Amino acid sequence: MAPVTHKQLSPDIERRIQQLWSRYPAENVAKALCLPLLTMAQEQFGAVDDEVVHLVAKRLGLPPSHVFGVVTFYTMFTRKQLGRFHLQVCTNIGCMLEGGYEVFEHCKRRLGIDNKGTTSDGNVTLTEVECLAACGYGPVAQISEKSQPDIPLYFEKLDRERVDKLLDALARGRVPEELGV
Amino acid sequence: MKIISTHFDEPRAKDIVYYESTGGYQAARKAMTMDPHGIVDEVKASNLRGRGGAGFPTGMKWGFIPKDAREVYLVINADESEPGTFKDRHILYWNPHVLVEGIICTARALHVRNVYVYIRGEMLREYRVLQDAIEQAYRKNYLGEHIFGTTENLHVTVHRGAGAYICGEETALLSSLEGDRGWPRLKPPFPAIKGLFGKPTIVNNVETIANVPWIVWNGGKAFAELGTGRSGGLRLLSVCGHVNRPGVYELPLTVTGRQLIDDVCGGMRKGRAVKGVIPGGVSMPVLAADELDVPFEFDALMNDTRIRELEVRPGVKFDLGGGRTLRTMAGSGGVVVMDESTDMVAACARIIRFFAEESCGQCTPCREGSGWLAKVVTRVEQGHGQSGDVDLMASIADGIAGNTICALGDAVAWPMLAFLTKYRSEFEAKLAKPASQRMERAAQAGAA
Repeated sequence: MAPVTHKQLSPDIERRIQQLWSRYPAENVAKALCLPLLTMAQEQFGAVDDEVVHLVAKRLGLPPSHVFGVVTFYTMFTRKQLGRFHLQVCTNIGCMLEGGYEVFEHCKRRLGIDNKGTTSDGNVTLTEVECLAACGYGPVAQISEKSQPDIPLYFEKLDRERVDKLLDALARGRVPEELGV
Repeated sequence: MKIISTHFDEPRAKDIVYYESTGGYQAARKAMTMDPHGIVDEVKASNLRGRGGAGFPTGMKWGFIPKDAREVYLVINADESEPGTFKDRHILYWNPHVLVEGIICTARALHVRNVYVYIRGEMLREYRVLQDAIEQAYRKNYLGEHIFGTTENLHVTVHRGAGAYICGEETALLSSLEGDRGWPRLKPPFPAIKGLFGKPTIVNNVETIANVPWIVWNGGKAFAELGTGRSGGLRLLSVCGHVNRPGVYELPLTVTGRQLIDDVCGGMRKGRAVKGVIPGGVSMPVLAADELDVPFEFDALMNDTRIRELEVRPGVKFDLGGGRTLRTMAGSGGVVVMDESTDMVAACARIIRFFAEESCGQCTPCREGSGWLAKVVTRVEQGHGQSGDVDLMASIADGIAGNTICALGDAVAWPMLAFLTKYRSEFEAKLAKPASQRMERAAQAGAA
């Protein structure tokens, strides 16, 4: 049974759906917009919980089971609310050779959380991620801020000192854009 | 000599006015006056090979579109996720218009009216740059209705992924673009016959399409002459790891691994020796230090006898199918350089864990095998390996390879077999340690 929800997609999202609708064949568009709409909905609500799954399914006329299957397949969709800042540290081969695991462990220690954990004040969620396609400039991290989808920053060549600066800034409530690329 | 990297590190190239002032969109204008078949012929003559990983001849791929196709899609694979590879991200960020121009030329050649660029969800910065370049092209009427004053229409839509390595596989990408989980599809039918939304579709990598304007402007023959043998043009290599100057370089295909490290990347850091080099993304078999005098070119990396054939166990060659053996492949151009201080078991384990994480779960050999392999290689890495684990890992890898719908099964098996073939003693040493320690402890206990 669909959960009762008072959530509504924002007018901005409705406008963006309208724009995209003509870009796909009429018989395929509803399903094709599944990922784009989920991305937008997550930006609006912070997570794709059951209510949002049903909201998206209803908007596109898709079975909720299909939307649920999609949400759980892709790593960028989150079912639970994350911290205000989402710190994603790569430990894949390129970053590993440059000390990616040391950076990740340092983040864990300083934040007092494990992989996929969130600090008790809800400020930072830390996630170990796979290759971010910036291997020549590792170790690399990406930071996103809730409700601020316009901060697409990578942080490259991280070492202890730079990580400390980064974590200090997050603790003060801001993404240190001057350190990012 | 530069083709794609012309505007790397030039921020003004994101502006269509600057891009045009350096000769940009001339090739697109020329393409609009050319017979579509003529463009396909030039690309066939160019010996351009797919830069995403497989190295398949681009013109031949284009030739598979049925002659009577009414709706043909072009899909650009911008889902760069193969560890070690970061060249497409560089193109998208520094030279987005060369991709847009390549799209225009290719769409003309293949009678395409709708193009989708499937870009990695994580690449938000590049998404915005590309989207902006596309909007500039729309304003100039290079995209949209009646482009360049002709009767042709061309729409380009950027479609963001949501985090899944497997979506770089072309049929998984199509599943994802259609709104499904990124599950690969059985081939045949190939996408050129039945692809996106069931229609004939060409899926090409960013770098592949970014080469097309140069080919249209200078001719396929000139591009072929830049290359060697059956591979035309130059190639982008992204180099990471223990070299002095990692980065993205556009190079002749004749450059060897040794030259890449010493001449292009300024040698090894701290003057250390090379231990191993992955030539084309982590799914490709690693090269040992004595195998680096081979050109990093598609055919050479597959066939040069200076590169050892992979083994399942010492003396028994891995069968790639039909009795063929495997050395390595050029893959995605993502070069990972590891120096003598590198723990090759740890490097291998990290790669295997990656593929176990990214297996889509559709085929049993890959879903179960990659997880099993990750468990065994991790326990070996951590010094808890059991006797027989080295053969066990080879046997699991051999059981996955060739038995799955897509190449991810091979992508987990090949590096495992390559690391075992070339660094077997390092794996064995990790096993030996706990056993000897146990004996030592037992001896000490006995003495006390």
